[in-house]
This record gives sequence, structure tokens and C-alpha cells, in this order.
Amino acid sequence: MRKFKCSVCGFIYDEATGLAEKGIAPGTKWEQVADQFMCPWCGAPKAVFEEVKEVATASAPPTDEEEYLESLGELSVGELSALCSNLAKGCEKQQLTEEMDLFYQLADYYNSKVVSESGKSFADIAKLLKSDLQDGYSKANAVATKKADRGSLRSLVWSEKVSRMVNSLLDRYSEEGDAMLEKTKIYVCDICGFVYLGNDLPEICPVCKVPNFKMSQIGRG
Amino acid sequence: MPAVRNIRLCTKDCVCLYVCPTGATDTENSIIDVDKCIKGCRICADACPSGAISLLPDDYPPQQPKEDRVVNALRILAQSKVQQEGITAAIARSSDSIITRQFAEVISKSNRIMAEDLLRESGYMLPQSDEVRNLLESMIKNPPKDFPLEAVEKLLNKLNNNKEVRKENY
Repeated sequence: MRKFKCSVCGFIYDEATGLAEKGIAPGTKWEQVADQFMCPWCGAPKAVFEEVKEVATASAPPTDEEEYLESLGELSVGELSALCSNLAKGCEKQQLTEEMDLFYQLADYYNSKVVSESGKSFADIAKLLKSDLQDGYSKANAVATKKADRGSLRSLVWSEKVSRMVNSLLDRYSEEGDAMLEKTKIYVCDICGFVYLGNDLPEICPVCKVPNFKMSQIGRG
Repeated sequence: MPAVRNIRLCTKDCVCLYVCPTGATDTENSIIDVDKCIKGCRICADACPSGAISLLPDDYPPQQPKEDRVVNALRILAQSKVQQEGITAAIARSSDSIITRQFAEVISKSNRIMAEDLLRESGYMLPQSDEVRNLLESMIKNPPKDFPLEAVEKLLNKLNNNKEVRKENY
């Protein structure tokens, strides 16, 4: 009997116990589980599940650290905007309302300077996202692990999981189109960016574990 | 160190109102009155049976040093998220389908939050840090004509820089 883990939220499917709430009998092999199976915690598709190996998996692939020595130069207007809106949130937490408003003003200014990416499609995002998932995260995780940077590792774990979820939703959307959302609500976690597609919000965010009052429904209009 | 109430934890036991020497907790909107609050007094925080009151710190810790390589690795990802945010924001503005616009807005918002978090960890954890001060100062060197100069100047004046905070406290 094997176990399979959801790479988005960590839910484990155990072949030995099955999954009563989804009508899957004990002893059901992973291969026999329907392709439409979705993670009961986060709604991720079957494809993002990975087998849990008993032995420790091979360590992260060796990376060419030299390429990170090259400076990226000044922060772009897009980066500055995100940095300022995050500092605004930080001020809000400290009850510094005026400072919050000022940082939001700066975030809006820089956002207005971002060159509009018109004429691109979801397929263009999917391409960028797949490159993040195949390349960006493994390199970043390797370098942050080497430097024992806990905070960076935490941030990478969250956004890698969210990226996997967004990637699976983009794949589904490219097949199903608008029908994917027609009868379903959709939420974004204010803290980590996790996207939840479904009508019954989990108690806590499957990725960052914040209580679900921090998950905002995005409506139409 | 003024007291603040976490409204999500408060169960209206009203012990804070009972013990506060100045009536700072006796407000219509449940927000403790900073002007009346005796800084550092903490009688309400200790008395609250719901653990809903805490004191805001006077000082915040300085930024931990960040390795260039880690910062670069985080920024490469953040730049990708920023780009994805921009593409989806454009779709959210221009699509004819109301559902496509909704989905694009969702992906755009998700990417903004991921970019924010990655950049925050690249050396800008708290608004009071030297790093944020340096960033603000760099913004007002040769600013473009339409730049909101005044906003940055106000921030530089108002933000209590934590340079003087003794590192051994943290």
C-alpha cells in the first residue's frame, strides 16, 4: 500500500484507508482513483499528487550559483509597486494609517508607470509560470537552503505551492474555458495568494493556514 | 506602547472598561483611544479574559542581513510574478467575457500577493528599517516630474527609523 501527497497543501491519500468522504473504499489503488479526483482540502487536481517515498529523496539538484552573482540592477517599477503595497500592509498592521495611505499612494504611482502588457493571453502566463516551477523555485530553494535563510524559504514554500495551484487552474481553464467558473465561487487568500475554486471554503487556507476570513471572494463585474 | 484590541478575539467581557484608569477602552467603535491610553500601562491587556488586547511595540527589530544571491533568486521569481500580474490585469481590463475578466482578476491578485511576499523577504520586512529608508531616499533623487515627492518626504519624517534599536534586544 502506498501514500500520495498533494504538492499544494500536503493532504495525504493513503491507499490502505481510501477516502470515505469521496466514496473511495479502503485498499483502492491510486491508479484506480478517478482522473477527476480533486484534493479534498484544496481542490487541486490528481496530477499534482506525488508518491510519498519512505527513503529520503535525493537532495536538490546542484545549481550554478554563479548566475545569481550577476546583479539584477535597480528595482523595476512593477517591483517597486509591489514593495510599496506590501509596506502599506505592514503599516496597517502597526495601526499607522497615514503611513499606510502614503505607501499605497506610491504603489499606485509605480503601478501607473508599468508598461501595459496588452495583447497577451493566459497561455503567456502559463509559459512564465511553468518556467518558475521548473527552474526558478529549485534554484531559489537551493540557494536559500545553503544560506539557511528561514524567512526566504518560508516565502518560497508558499508561493511555489500557490504557483502549482494556479498552474493547474490555468491548465483546466485552457480546456474548459469560462465553464470552469460558471457555477462556482472563487477566492484568493489575502496572505499567500492561494486560489480556491469551490463553494465551500475550507476552515483555513490550505497553503498558509490562515483562518478563512482572510480569503476574499472575487466576484464578477 | 499603546494598547490595541483584536476585535476577532474580543467577546465583550468588558473587563478592560472596568479596569482602565482613563476610560480609553470605553469607545463606541471598540477601538482603544490612543490619546487617552497610558502608554505601557497594560492593565487592560493583563485583565482581558479573552487575550484580545496587546500592546503595540515602540520599536521594531532591524532588518536581518540578506545574502545577495538569495535576494537575486527571490527577485527573479518576483519579477516573473509582476509580469504575470501585468498580463492578467490587462486581460481583466479588456476581455469581453465577464467570467474571463473575473478569472484574470483572480490570477492578477494572486500574483501581486506572491510578488509582495517574495520582495518583503528580500530585505524589506518592516517599514522602519534602514533598507526602507534608503529606498525612500533613493526615490527622491532626481524624481520624475509627476512623482509624489511629498508622500515620500512625509514618510521619511513620520517613520520611526529603528537604526537606534539595540540589536541585542533581538
